[in-house]
Amino acid sequence: MNITWSVNKLKVLMRREYWENRGAFRNTPAILSLITISFMLMGLVIKIRFDNEGYTFREAMRLFASQSEAMRGYEVTQSLMALSGFFVFVMSIVIFFYLLGSLYDDRKDKSILFWKSLPASDELTIASKLFSAMFVIPVIFWLFLIATEIIMMGIGGMMVWSADQNPWTLVFGPAEPLKAWGLVLAGWLANSFWMLPVYSWLLLVSSKAPRVPMLFAILPPVILSVLQAWIGFLRTFQLQDNVLGVTSKWIANSPAILAGQITPDGDQGGNVSVSLGMPVTSTFDHAPTLANMLDRLFSQQMLFGLIVAAVFLFAALWFRRRASDG
Amino acid sequence: MSTIISTQNLCKKFGSQYAVDHVNLSIESGRIIGLIGPNGAGKTTLLKAILGLTTFAGDLKVLGLDPRKDRDELMEQVSFIADVAVLPRWMRVWEAIDLVEGLHSRFSRDKCMQFLAKTKIGLDKKVKQLSKGMVAQLHLALVMSIDARLLVLDEPTLGLDIIYRKTFYTNLLNDYFDEERTIIITTHQVEEIEHILSDLIFIQDGKIVLDSTMEEVQKSYFELMAPEESVAAARELGPLNESSIFGKHIFLFKGVDAGKLEPLGEIRTPNVADLFVAVMGEEQ
Repeated sequence: MNITWSVNKLKVLMRREYWENRGAFRNTPAILSLITISFMLMGLVIKIRFDNEGYTFREAMRLFASQSEAMRGYEVTQSLMALSGFFVFVMSIVIFFYLLGSLYDDRKDKSILFWKSLPASDELTIASKLFSAMFVIPVIFWLFLIATEIIMMGIGGMMVWSADQNPWTLVFGPAEPLKAWGLVLAGWLANSFWMLPVYSWLLLVSSKAPRVPMLFAILPPVILSVLQAWIGFLRTFQLQDNVLGVTSKWIANSPAILAGQITPDGDQGGNVSVSLGMPVTSTFDHAPTLANMLDRLFSQQMLFGLIVAAVFLFAALWFRRRASDG
Repeated sequence: MSTIISTQNLCKKFGSQYAVDHVNLSIESGRIIGLIGPNGAGKTTLLKAILGLTTFAGDLKVLGLDPRKDRDELMEQVSFIADVAVLPRWMRVWEAIDLVEGLHSRFSRDKCMQFLAKTKIGLDKKVKQLSKGMVAQLHLALVMSIDARLLVLDEPTLGLDIIYRKTFYTNLLNDYFDEERTIIITTHQVEEIEHILSDLIFIQDGKIVLDSTMEEVQKSYFELMAPEESVAAARELGPLNESSIFGKHIFLFKGVDAGKLEPLGEIRTPNVADLFVAVMGEEQ
């Protein structure tokens, strides 16, 4: 059993994941793109309908043009990144449900016996599911995000042009779309590593839950947190950080670029927690830079996260091996 | 000829109950073995142990490998159909072919296409769009295109109509089986497979109650159809089982000299179903 053969099998298994989940992996971001573009077109219709001979838009463009080139470029680049927040939100939901079903659905419909009849190890099977969540889904969502933004830039450019401004010198020239897209992808991939403990937990639940895996994924941390909070309350009458607090803090620290983090003056948006409605204080600098992403991936927290992820993954593997027994 | 499966004191317990109870078996290559037993006798558990799908106690070697430890290696040379319609329902036929080809070094796409060409299965159809019989045909086509040394079929035709069942076994025998391969089949429709079997294993309450070649069965088991006047004499010879149909008495004998039976009535080789009932009855 050589490595090339295993890598080939892994590729085949990941292709299977794509085939099984075309709806989630491909259609969902496609629909997101359509929604985003139709919102923009609706805005365009409203503008044409109500903006008297484009006066307001023209004024806005004049105001925009009065800014320095650097500021204009910055603003366009930031708004390109900001749209990714919408995508990352939906993507997280897709990944959540994909992982929860990944080792559960074939147990439920008994097709696990077909998979187990093929010479693909349980390790490769779990790896194919984890890697699909970590890399395949983000890259597909990212490609749709870029396509959406290119279309939006095209429409926006025509609007600017219709307001007698040169879209190239005014908007696109100073903007750095490649940088924005690069940072978004880097952020999402860094997020994939950061989320390993969460993803591994979902795989573990999926490998064992007898039914309704979502319940088994959410209830244990909630019950544990309530217990912790209760004990903490009895002891000190003060709410300590519990599992839920730690988890939400963890998610809020994700290196993916969240819309709430981007402020025009580019300082670290410490108000992510506010936008998530959770009492969370951020430990990391959230400004969207590669350095900040790497800072998190090479942190002590990440090391702790990897250990937790490894424990969950080994448990998932253990259960998967025995999934056809009984 | 080589030993494909050997077990020594193979056991599997669920709670305090043995599903497989100290089983000793040795299965040679080039055989078609019928593993027959009533519901809950331990057939599926035994097969799962052989396929590395369950833990067990005792010794078990399949193709010289330990199914628990060397499962991934074993699956390169072993194929199985565990149940009808376990192919994933979302999958398209061409995806299934691509997948097995990508994962199995011994899979032949050409063979698979030849098998499928004889059916009405379209390559672009999803498994959930196929009838139960077609799913079984597809599964068999995939499995027969794998150059495996051992093929395990656990109730492969359950729920299929008679036409699908007949062609299933005909294809298996004509297009797949040869001296290098071994096939183990469990089924409740014994009468449909008895003509293709070379070996017979009966299992009851986790124990092997009969392990014999069909030739040996034909040599040592006789069914006697006796008229009323010979009944007493036949009973003297210690039949395994006795029943009566249309006023005629039917006795089943094991290891009794055919010469002694001939004067008492009509002798023939019992079919597997009758043998099964008799042997199981004796055990109980």
